[in-house]
Amino acid sequence: MRSVFAVFKRELWLYFRSPIAYAIAFAILFFLGLLFNGYIAQANQRFPADSTYIPSLLTFLMFLIAPLLTMRLIAEETREGTLEVLMTLPMSEGQMIVGKFLAAWGYYTVLLLLTVVFHLLMVLVGIPDLGAAFGAYFGAWLYGGAVLAVTMIWSAVTEDQIVAAFLGAATVLVLYLAEIAAIWIAANQSTAGAADFIRELGLQAHYGPTLAQGVIRAEDIAYFILMIVGSLFITTRIVETRRWRA
Amino acid sequence: MIEVNNLTKRFGSVTAVDAVTFDAKHGQVTGFLGPNGAGKTTTMRMLTGFMPPTAGQAIVAGFDVFEHSFEVRKRVGYLPESVPLYRDMTVRGYLMYLGEIRGLTHLRDRADAALARVNLQDRADSRIRTLSKGMRQRVGLAQALMHDPEVLILDEPTIGLDPLQVLELRDLVRELGKTHTLLFSTHILSEAEQVCDSVVIINRGTIVAQGAPADLRSDLERGGRVLVRVNAPPEEARAALAALPDAKSVEVERDTLLVTPRSPEVDPRPDIARLVVERGWDLIELRPLAVNLEEIFLEVTQQNGAPAAAAVESEETHA
Repeated sequence: MRSVFAVFKRELWLYFRSPIAYAIAFAILFFLGLLFNGYIAQANQRFPADSTYIPSLLTFLMFLIAPLLTMRLIAEETREGTLEVLMTLPMSEGQMIVGKFLAAWGYYTVLLLLTVVFHLLMVLVGIPDLGAAFGAYFGAWLYGGAVLAVTMIWSAVTEDQIVAAFLGAATVLVLYLAEIAAIWIAANQSTAGAADFIRELGLQAHYGPTLAQGVIRAEDIAYFILMIVGSLFITTRIVETRRWRA
Repeated sequence: MIEVNNLTKRFGSVTAVDAVTFDAKHGQVTGFLGPNGAGKTTTMRMLTGFMPPTAGQAIVAGFDVFEHSFEVRKRVGYLPESVPLYRDMTVRGYLMYLGEIRGLTHLRDRADAALARVNLQDRADSRIRTLSKGMRQRVGLAQALMHDPEVLILDEPTIGLDPLQVLELRDLVRELGKTHTLLFSTHILSEAEQVCDSVVIINRGTIVAQGAPADLRSDLERGGRVLVRVNAPPEEARAALAALPDAKSVEVERDTLLVTPRSPEVDPRPDIARLVVERGWDLIELRPLAVNLEEIFLEVTQQNGAPAAAAVESEETHA
């Protein structure tokens, strides 16, 4: 446990020293701020402002944010050779990977908490639905964890950070678009059964219609946790086999 | 204590390390010697638990490296060849980070003690990126020493250092060898001879010779080739030496003649001396060819029918 915490601490500290992490935080907050401003202006006296607007936007943007946050985690250690030192310490691959993942998730959590500012603004100008907001933020937090874990796999597959980022973004997009694929498939009578299956595999089915509406279902939480655990397991196995073959 | 038994590592069809057997005793410096690509790094990576062996067994500090990898890792200090470090950290921060992963306590004191050991206290707060190659090497060594391991495994620790730093590091290695089991690889033969109590010579993944440097030398003095330098017409000298009953063949290299004895048991030197005196030549030099490890190494690798240079082909296996 101490080694997991040591890795977590260092990686989190690195995020707060990394220009990329600040650039991401700036871009996200700036972009969300712009959209929020337009949204609030539009909603003014016409329709009740939706308190899940910001967290839902953030989950969509995760296909860009997550790969940039995780591309470094393992690829850099592999390329620099520091993995060789780490893996001759009494620490397993799994412990290292969990520590690194928690750091990425921790940084994302800080980012997510910063966006709560928009919610507070909404509270000032109206009466947003607090239950829905809680569900949406909680959902965005789990969603972010799952997406970070998935993109981290690519950081273990390749030592090239750019390649890892692109493959990560593509993977998250595919998982995001499963919803739309399901709609296409459902249009055809003979494959309607498969549509539901594919839809449930995707990220949106477990966020958009449920958590983002304030509906907290065990199956959605289980989906995200399974995504996290599964991805970390795959990442661990990749690092192990790379080492065995190295 | 390191005991290696038939340790083998294959990468696909390439056998990088082939049934290697040797041991390294506590309180001694054991030199692991061989040309680049001979399998030194691969063997060390298996001993430190970084890489599992394909076959065979290795016991380090009383534990099997494969069965009880963590127990071994706790007791081993390892300096990899490329000395990978986190360049954005301070020296002390780096040591404390690795110490924390190891689960050590009194991190700051330990880090400072390790830095004092390698004489780098005054750079404890410097960022690693600002350090010279020699200093980085010492940071790597401090990292390997920090947890007071029983066994130290250093992969080419003197590579890339300037001559003065090399001397300092050799002194440190010798000193550490008195209190640790120290396995240290090098492709510089004179270095192994100066520093090591015992030498293991590896070429193309197999061990070709091992023992104390002095023993290796005396083994090779008997039966090894003899170098002769005389003031005489080379052709005449060659013919006369070749006619000796104990000589199998004679090669001429500029002004020196190399006499290969008929069998390892015979020593042709007395006969050669007598011949030189009878002919009235001036004797300039008469000695066994292999007097330092450099020559022993060449002799041994040639006897095995595998010239040292050919081993470079398998260099890629280290990447």
